[in-house]
Amino acid sequence: MISRLREKDAGGLLKCIQCGSCTSACIVNAVDEEFNPRRIIGLITRFNKLPDQDPWLCSTCSVCVERCPQSVNPLSIIMALRMIKYEDGNKLPDKVIEMIEQVKKTGLAFPLNPETRGKRVLLKLPEFGISEEGLNEIRNIISEAGF
Amino acid sequence: MSVTLYLGCVIRSLYPEVEKAVKETLNKVDVQFDEPKDASCCAPLGFFSLNRSAWLRLNERNMRLFQSSVMTACDDCFASLSDAFKTISEKNGVKAPEVKPFEKILMEKLEERRMVFSFKGLRCAVQHSCHLLRPARDVDDAENPQLVKRILERLGYLSISYEGELDCCGGLVFEDRISKILADRKARALEESGADCVVVTCSHCMRQLKSVSKLPVLHLAQLSALSLGVKPEEIGVPDTLVRRMVKP
Repeated sequence: MISRLREKDAGGLLKCIQCGSCTSACIVNAVDEEFNPRRIIGLITRFNKLPDQDPWLCSTCSVCVERCPQSVNPLSIIMALRMIKYEDGNKLPDKVIEMIEQVKKTGLAFPLNPETRGKRVLLKLPEFGISEEGLNEIRNIISEAGF
Repeated sequence: MSVTLYLGCVIRSLYPEVEKAVKETLNKVDVQFDEPKDASCCAPLGFFSLNRSAWLRLNERNMRLFQSSVMTACDDCFASLSDAFKTISEKNGVKAPEVKPFEKILMEKLEERRMVFSFKGLRCAVQHSCHLLRPARDVDDAENPQLVKRILERLGYLSISYEGELDCCGGLVFEDRISKILADRKARALEESGADCVVVTCSHCMRQLKSVSKLPVLHLAQLSALSLGVKPEEIGVPDTLVRRMVKP
């Protein structure tokens, strides 16, 4: 588990002293005690186990990164867990799948809707859209990443 | 001064009034800009957390399209582009363009000259963007952010402090239950603050708070454009707010 996480740029994993600064600063922990960054890191470093906790609960607010006295990057560890769980066959959140599909289709995660299109005309804003050539480059990058 | 304007997906697709406000503000403070038509999504954390190489390759492609230093109007784009460019530049030994958020450039311009503003008195509560402040990227103080508040005060508005000011709004939580809890918690704190409106600089905060807050949610650019003389109806500033402002 530790080597898999290291391959995915999980920062400073073994420097963790289990002090709990990350958890006391974590806003998700404040509303749901089940999500506990200190425990997530402890399970990995002390027991070499893949934590059950859902890494998609993390808000990516990065307060844990700022507060860690050991310069561990708990956010990067949680992000690496998202990747590992995905590789192991866990389903992605629907919203993430939708964003990836939209980038494949239009190059943008949030595409223009008809209502906004009308508003843009009224405000005299330019039309926008990526060229076919550009879209092909973007699609290649995404499909080579395995999505 | 001339910049590459990177507006990203959300502002252009969902909030054209913010795009208008950003562009009008830049015109008024003499910043020229061009927009690279072929630039893609900045591939923020949703992507990055799954595949670092896709994140880097998409932004390497974006980087090739940018001719000058880059200005973002969404702090999530700011974080993604600046982190990706830094990584690419260290990895390939190339010089990457500088990335600055709208608020940083606006402050520089406001400090250059004395301007007279047309409206005053609106009480603003700032929703500080997590990805502007952390991990620290030398734009503002991560634990006691002042940049957006100072801009608002310079523009003639009142910036108020409130409980849980630094708390995340949950705009990038992809799990619905937690996202909703964080949004409601933030909305309550903002409503109890006594503010007339909420001010954001991140398009995900904007989406999230607009979905739950009883207060109007505005991008900083809407207020800067208003102060610089743009008509409120052109930049989506509601009448109810305009009526609360007093002319100096």
